[in-house]
Amino acid sequence: MANIAAQRIKREFKEVIKSEEVAKCAIRVELLNDTFTELKGEIAGPPDTPYEGGTFVLEIKVPETYPFNPPKVRFVTKIWHPNISSVTGAICLDILKDQWAAAMTLRTVLLSLQALLSAAEPDDPQDAVVAKQYKENNEMFQITARHWTNVYAGGPNINKDCDDKIRRLADMGIEEHQARVALSSYDWELERATEQLFS
Amino acid sequence: MAESTRTTNFRGRSVSSSESGWTRNEVKNVNNRENTQNSQASNSRSRNPWVCRYFLRGTCTRSECQYVHELPLTSNTRHSPIRNSTARRSMAKLHNTGQSMPSTSSQSSSLNEALNGSCGNEGQASSNSNNENNTLNNLRCEETGGAEEVTSTILKNDWVNAPEFVPSQPKQKSYAQAVNPMDSAEYIKYSEQRLCPYVTKEGCCRYPPGECTNLHGDLCDLCGRAVMHPFNEELRKKHHQDCIKQHEKDMELSFALARSKEKSCGVCFEVIMEKAIGEQRFGILPNCNHCFCLTCIRKWRQARQFENKIIRACPECRITSDFVCPSMYWVDTKEDKDKLIDDYKKALSKKDCKYFKKGSGKCPFGNKCFYLHAFPDGRICDVGPPPRQRRRRNFEHSDFDVLQHVILWDFLDDRANPWQSLADDLEDLVSFFSDSDDSDWSEYDLFYD
Repeated sequence: MANIAAQRIKREFKEVIKSEEVAKCAIRVELLNDTFTELKGEIAGPPDTPYEGGTFVLEIKVPETYPFNPPKVRFVTKIWHPNISSVTGAICLDILKDQWAAAMTLRTVLLSLQALLSAAEPDDPQDAVVAKQYKENNEMFQITARHWTNVYAGGPNINKDCDDKIRRLADMGIEEHQARVALSSYDWELERATEQLFS
Repeated sequence: MAESTRTTNFRGRSVSSSESGWTRNEVKNVNNRENTQNSQASNSRSRNPWVCRYFLRGTCTRSECQYVHELPLTSNTRHSPIRNSTARRSMAKLHNTGQSMPSTSSQSSSLNEALNGSCGNEGQASSNSNNENNTLNNLRCEETGGAEEVTSTILKNDWVNAPEFVPSQPKQKSYAQAVNPMDSAEYIKYSEQRLCPYVTKEGCCRYPPGECTNLHGDLCDLCGRAVMHPFNEELRKKHHQDCIKQHEKDMELSFALARSKEKSCGVCFEVIMEKAIGEQRFGILPNCNHCFCLTCIRKWRQARQFENKIIRACPECRITSDFVCPSMYWVDTKEDKDKLIDDYKKALSKKDCKYFKKGSGKCPFGNKCFYLHAFPDGRICDVGPPPRQRRRRNFEHSDFDVLQHVILWDFLDDRANPWQSLADDLEDLVSFFSDSDDSDWSEYDLFYD
């Protein structure tokens, strides 16, 4: 059983390495142990999205029952996305749950995640706060997502306004990430974020 | 005039039944002839004066051969049955003309003896009388020395008495006889004789040459085995047809192998023909053309953690198929696939349904079941369509109903189509049988039956 999983990951690993996407630096897979049960994935933020220019690291755990069960994937890199938890990195994607198919591979999973970054599903959210912002204040969502990409995923777009507000909260003794989460959740309104942090 | 006498003589001759054509009668005949050999007329009248050259080689199969079946002088055949043609010709001429060697009674008796000897075994030496030795020496010197010279002198002297050439077909023959130059009764007798089983099966006879009582077949140019009955045209034809059929089968098999060789399973990614023995089987989905090994696709379809709609769909294209058909080879054309599935269903329909239990149980699939519904006496039972399953009621109606549903329907409750669960169970049924008595039909070559 485990043997099938390991054998298949081995084959898939070769497939991913050879694939076009790797050549274009869009996806990458790295082995973390010899038993092929834990891998590190990387996807590039798709162009024309707030995630453009960022590199997102994923934790991939291959169950013994793979490929009859999907791999367990979560974002290690913090990301602002309606279908990905901003706290845990958990992903809400049907193919990683009930819509899995045994013919899917690490490559198709990573490409699906990349597609998820370009096309969020706010009606089936993982992170309700992000989804609400996405639907009600999409402009603010774009700013926030771009800022998070810049800070956590190495994206190129520096938002001075966001950085300033975070520094102000940090000066009050708030941890930087905590401040960012509070500001992001309240559409970067400093007052409401402060209120929430000190309540 | 002379010819007609000869013909009657020939017909009047007793036909021997043994293959070599030697009977006591004939030997007597020869003796008689030996005694009257000086008279050319009586000699030519007794039979066609030429020695059968097939006989000289030891291979004449005609029992009523019109040529002389006797050894001109005993020891020739003893040394080697096949001699150079000049010697043979000269021997025949010597004998026929009877000029160079006047016959004596002692010679004829020794000849007689030798003939008897050669009837049984050619290699068995006859008594070496002086006379015989003399004649042998004569012959030898003739063969080695001026054989041509001697014969030419004979021809010069006695050309008038030289035997007349007679065409070899004294009587009208039917077409069948011409094709099969053998007496029809005899032909039938031979055609019913069976072929030597050793040659047929092992390729060589266990008996020394000539001692096997059975016929040895001719080589078949298709299979290369000595299995063509030399006399029975029907058997020959049948074997030829069988060979062609076998050849077609082999071709089909090699095509199937060629197209299966590289195919890999969409789930485990392994090349199916390179998997472990017993796992080199394909699981063919009837509604799409994606390739899986039987083990993987069955396992996928039993992955109960997913909805039925998901697991009954192809893992690659999500097209739903109701069952998986096991196969030794990959099928790519529609005809091949239809035939395979048809054969599969036929094979299953011969096996007893484990729910019907020869009438003592009840099959939930009714007449949609692939398996056999028959009573112990073999009577087929039409169980009718599967019993209509109750549709799921709303939860509000009663808690009891909910409980019942949980028990009866287990996890199968959320289905749009009530028949779907049937197909699922059918799948289980198929796997149950295939797993429990694997050797029975799944090894059975469904595709190339």
